[in-house]
Amino acid sequence: MNFFKGPVVLICRLILGAVFIYASLDKIMNPDDFAKAIGNYHVLPLGLENLLALVLPWIEMLTGLCLIIGVMVDGATILIILMNIVFIFAISQALARGISIECGCFSVSSEGGDNIGLQTILRDIGYLLLAYVVYYRQERKFEFFPKSN
Amino acid sequence: MNYRNPIIQAGILVVISFFIGIVCNAASANSIPLLAKKIEQASELDLSSQDPVLLTISLEQAKSFFEEDILFLDARDEAYYEQGHIKGAMKNIFLMELIFNIESIQSKSDPLVVYCGDPGCGDSEDLAYDLQDSGFNKLYVFKGGWLEWSAAGYPSEIKN
Repeated sequence: MNFFKGPVVLICRLILGAVFIYASLDKIMNPDDFAKAIGNYHVLPLGLENLLALVLPWIEMLTGLCLIIGVMVDGATILIILMNIVFIFAISQALARGISIECGCFSVSSEGGDNIGLQTILRDIGYLLLAYVVYYRQERKFEFFPKSN
Repeated sequence: MNYRNPIIQAGILVVISFFIGIVCNAASANSIPLLAKKIEQASELDLSSQDPVLLTISLEQAKSFFEEDILFLDARDEAYYEQGHIKGAMKNIFLMELIFNIESIQSKSDPLVVYCGDPGCGDSEDLAYDLQDSGFNKLYVFKGGWLEWSAAGYPSEIKN
């Protein structure tokens, strides 16, 4: 079965799009909590966690929308691959240093969030696989801009 | 511009996100500064001053506060507190109750030291900001936390 053709590509697009839109909502509503969650990873200098907390959720939201409605699918998929690589790196370095922190992946409020661990890395690798299928797809069905071949 | 180029598409999405993020933050009721402010390190400890303070302190400064019977707050979860904490430190509980407990001992303008597990944890700073929002104005964050304190062998209460 060719995963890079037919409904599998569309299903991957829809799942990734829905996940990233869902992930963006709580962060857009609570930028201060998300900035703290980023700060806890201790990877960004100069207080840049605030800027990232303001911009990253919108990148997630826009890429998710693009995948679902079929606009600039290639660019959105590249961003999703990049984001997941960065997430995996950030979680891994936190785990390697033994700091136990909240993921800040979906829910950023101090009560509702899940902690980082192997399962969050595996989840991100799963998203990478979905993005891989979308990026190397062989047909461009239900894509509107740029106009399909 | 070649809109078929994935890199160009990604760039467009990032630029749009950047502007939406900045504009929404400027228009939002709970907006945040574009760059996070770090709490500064205290150079000298002047407890007689009446100015509001929110500073970080070193292990030695924390020790000298401890010897002056300044109140310590453990910002970690209760389970960690039960296993071991700085001697006499107050347990972190529901914020309103915590504030009530502090105010039953001292006023909002008396000094307080907040700490958590290790230099990497953010709970002490979060709690310090919450207390600052609630009107406490002499707050010191001991960044080294339980890790440095217990390693130094300073007075502690440890569960056997």
